[in-house]
Amino acid sequence: MGAQKKRAAAAAAAARVSEDPDDLARQPLQAILLADSFTTKFRPITLERPKVLLPLVNVPMINYTLAWLEAAGVAEVFVFCCAHSKQVIDYLENSEWFSQPNFTVKTIESHNIISAGDALRLIYEQNVIHGDFVLISGDTVSNMSLTQALQEHKERKKKDNNAVMTMIIKKSKPSPITRQSRLGTDELFMAIDPNTKQLLYYEDKADHSKGTICLDKMLLAENPSISLHNDKQDCYIDICSPEVLSLFTDNFDYQHLRRHFVKGLLLDDIMGYKIFTHEIHSSYAARIDNYRSYDIVSKDIIQRWTYPYVPDVKFCGNRATKLERRGMYRALEIEQSRSAQVGSFTVIGYGTKIGSNSKISDSVIGEGCTIGSNVLIEGSYIWDNVIIEDGCELRHVIVCDGVIMKAGAVLKPGVVLSFKVVIGERFVVPAYSKVSLLQQPTVHDSDEELEYADNSSGTVEFSSIQGTADQSNGEMTSESSEAHKPKLGTGGVGYIWSICEGGQEEEWRHSVAPIPEDKLTELSEAMDDDQELVTQDRTALSTSGELISDSNASEGDDNEDSKDDSVYFEKEVEATFLRAVEENVKVDHVILEVNSLRLSYNMTSADCAGAVFYSMMKLAIKTPHSSASELQQNTANIITTWQKLLKSYLLEIDEEIEIILKFEEMCLESAKEFSPLFARILHILYDKDILQEDAILRWADEKEGADESDKVFVRQSEKFIQWLREASEEED
Amino acid sequence: MQFDDQGRVNKSKKRAVFNQPEAKNRVELFRHLPQYEHGSQLTDLESKFLELDSMHPAVYKVGVQYLAGDVTGGNARCIAMLRAFQEVINDYSTPPGKTLVRDLTAKISSYVSFLIECRPLSMSMGNAIRFQKSRIAKLPLTLSETEAKAALCNDIDRFINEKIILADKVIVRHAATKVRDGDVLLTYGSSCVVEMILLYAHELGKQFRVVVVDSRPKHEGQALLRRLLAKGLSCTYTHINAVSYIMHEVTRVFLGASSVLSNGTTYSRVGTACVAMVAHAFRVPVLICCEAYKFHERVQLDSICSNELGDSNDIARVPGRPDVNSMDNRTNEKNLQFLNLMYDATPSEYVSMIITDYGMIPPTSVPVIVREYRREYLLI
Repeated sequence: MGAQKKRAAAAAAAARVSEDPDDLARQPLQAILLADSFTTKFRPITLERPKVLLPLVNVPMINYTLAWLEAAGVAEVFVFCCAHSKQVIDYLENSEWFSQPNFTVKTIESHNIISAGDALRLIYEQNVIHGDFVLISGDTVSNMSLTQALQEHKERKKKDNNAVMTMIIKKSKPSPITRQSRLGTDELFMAIDPNTKQLLYYEDKADHSKGTICLDKMLLAENPSISLHNDKQDCYIDICSPEVLSLFTDNFDYQHLRRHFVKGLLLDDIMGYKIFTHEIHSSYAARIDNYRSYDIVSKDIIQRWTYPYVPDVKFCGNRATKLERRGMYRALEIEQSRSAQVGSFTVIGYGTKIGSNSKISDSVIGEGCTIGSNVLIEGSYIWDNVIIEDGCELRHVIVCDGVIMKAGAVLKPGVVLSFKVVIGERFVVPAYSKVSLLQQPTVHDSDEELEYADNSSGTVEFSSIQGTADQSNGEMTSESSEAHKPKLGTGGVGYIWSICEGGQEEEWRHSVAPIPEDKLTELSEAMDDDQELVTQDRTALSTSGELISDSNASEGDDNEDSKDDSVYFEKEVEATFLRAVEENVKVDHVILEVNSLRLSYNMTSADCAGAVFYSMMKLAIKTPHSSASELQQNTANIITTWQKLLKSYLLEIDEEIEIILKFEEMCLESAKEFSPLFARILHILYDKDILQEDAILRWADEKEGADESDKVFVRQSEKFIQWLREASEEED
Repeated sequence: MQFDDQGRVNKSKKRAVFNQPEAKNRVELFRHLPQYEHGSQLTDLESKFLELDSMHPAVYKVGVQYLAGDVTGGNARCIAMLRAFQEVINDYSTPPGKTLVRDLTAKISSYVSFLIECRPLSMSMGNAIRFQKSRIAKLPLTLSETEAKAALCNDIDRFINEKIILADKVIVRHAATKVRDGDVLLTYGSSCVVEMILLYAHELGKQFRVVVVDSRPKHEGQALLRRLLAKGLSCTYTHINAVSYIMHEVTRVFLGASSVLSNGTTYSRVGTACVAMVAHAFRVPVLICCEAYKFHERVQLDSICSNELGDSNDIARVPGRPDVNSMDNRTNEKNLQFLNLMYDATPSEYVSMIITDYGMIPPTSVPVIVREYRREYLLI
């Protein structure tokens, strides 16, 4: 039954494709709005409320997107709801969007969807899209006109049936220091054919450490000209042909719109589908991807780059606001003390009270807030019904609905307070911390799959909380306050989330707070160093390049080159090994991985054995230990666990000797802590059958003629060697 | 020279170094000013590079820079010209049978007329040339040629250092005392002295905001804005159409000047008068920042008698906006004349104070400076 249905849908799609293009042109424009970002960047706020309903300058984000879609001439919008779908649907039902003439909004609800790809597959199955459509997520703010882009898209489509998508881009230069765009997203590299505007290459996760990007050389061979951009911003507004949906269905592994779909299409040269770009110049388009873009887009709205979607123009869901000089927006019925200073680029919502001597600048204050006296608010986003008592200080923070800040509390830059958190008196919340009434979900690895799964579990978590929260809010808060009293000062309620994803180091990148000065200087210094490295690398490369072309190259150079290689190889093996330890990868898999490394670096198995042994010892020394005996214990444990790995490379006696030599070298140079334990660890290795007595004896014999300084370890293990010799003699 | 006098124009054309086609539709009121067809001169001049034996390469270079608009601004143009003359003097050797004093003066005059062809002189440049010629004329006859050349080069160096660079520093010191915490300073276009003042006041740690008012077609304010923002000043950028709106919040207006005339009139980038008048109407003090070497004893009541006309295409065309370029192909229509004035005159009653290297003076004191200053530079 299901299969039949699918076949019918596929047939319908085929029929749609073969339709006359003129018919397509007459069809009303449709749009798919994904009301879920399928990421966790806005946590902890998104645990309680979907991202599209978060207020952006006092208006839920989805309203900006819907208002733009309406203005751009879209006739029908399918809002796809996943996480917190009930809230989204309830909101839309209560808003005016369902009662607009010439603009229909329909919702599609699903709970078990974990990615944009799944969502599009589901929509395809429902068979509601009949022509070209706009694909957008519900957190996009734009005021561009679609006419031209749509026209271009249709004309291309007429000529070339494979032109399935037009991507909207806008010029925006990333900062050379932080390597991220103004909106806090990663630096984006795109290769575009300057004549046809075809997108040829898309990379948003370029490896900065090497300072290079790799283009397929076929790109250069096939196209007469390519312009490579890193000064474009992806607006995440796509005009798609209906084939896009079937493509998602055909390739069931496509999850992410860019990472899988766009890159997949660009790489796939069998079907020959093409993506084109349309650059906008004077109009605005940006997607809110993280806290930094939330901050930047809010400022753009206040500074009227998004006109007509500005606070003082009524578009949907915003109350009448008056624009005063220097970008000050004031709603009606505000109680403001005479001595309060409200500075430039500030929005103050309906019914908010501001006490005396308070200073507010560059901030957005929601509706019904109460701000005491001597409060300082700078560059912050304060949502509705927040109570801020006297003498608080807030700099570059986000404060959600219903938060209470007791007198004298201080929020350092980058803090996010989720719904209904209470901050105790004179409590200082450290920079970049996130506070929520909900406890932090258990730490997951930030792997793609897991991230999605994580999100859906967020839904479940939410629904369970909503059940209780509505009726027994008081109960819950009292309960959690008891459990975590000391964490947020006296009377504080909520949990401070520990920073997990990316760690503290990366927190500043996506935070609402501006990037601190010292970070910038640090980064620019690091960048200078990098550049030096790169130039050094280049010179190294050029010499090796010569070597390849010149077969008569001197022996010495060649050795140097292979030495370089072996250093890299060792590092790679070490990284592989450490990852294996952390993630509990099976030994067989590690062996496979190391083998592939060995092939790619053209190493012998002796090298492998050395490298693996080296990484094991490295791990042992890194494991915390207080005394030599403890270190020995650690080493023994590691050797026991991983002996299979090591043994798989010990095919002959030469490899075993290599290990001893390696160990000797380590004891002398990188890991001197081992030197007193040399003999004992040698014994362990012998016990575990890793080293045969022959190997040890041969090593001892080899060392016989060496310098005194080289014989330190032979001496140390003299007893052991002696014992071995005797044992073998006895056997004889 | 009056360009509506046909006879004299023809005569000067014969002497001209390169062809300057005159504009077809000249603005009637400004017939006395040179009105050329823009666009072709640069290539024409470049093509004649090898034919111009008499032209010193340094002068030629400066001329091309003027024509192409690479060197703009009173001080920059003046310094470029003086540096070129320095090279001329260094390379100069008196031809047999001639005296240095006469021959060099004639040579410089011919160079100056070439520079005028490239772009009309600013008054500051006129002053500098006058100074240069008087130094040559006053050379003691006892000096040998090398000594005379060294003396002249030294004079030019002193002029640049004392009258331009040091003068700017003094002006910046004076003007910074007029910047207070909480001020909102408005400036129009891009004046290098005003820029230095703003940066210096910022360095002193004064808390103020800058409003940069700009205008088409040159958008000089954008470059200034970029430099101010790079130094971390808080700026507002607007166009001159909005000056009456923004003046409301301004506490002080700082303007540069191309020249200050002896009746106190300020001759400056077109639009300055408008800004000054609006500021006057809003009771906002207008401070003109101008080095004393730009003062001139001439009296001018309007901006018609003496002015410079720019390329009419600049105002006909809106770059980057293909949707509003309806004027593009109308430049040759008979009953349409484009007027792109470069300067205007601000009457002295709209100026509160002139900040110069001799201190801060009211516009009525300009003649005193002109008189004193003249005596001084004759003494150098």
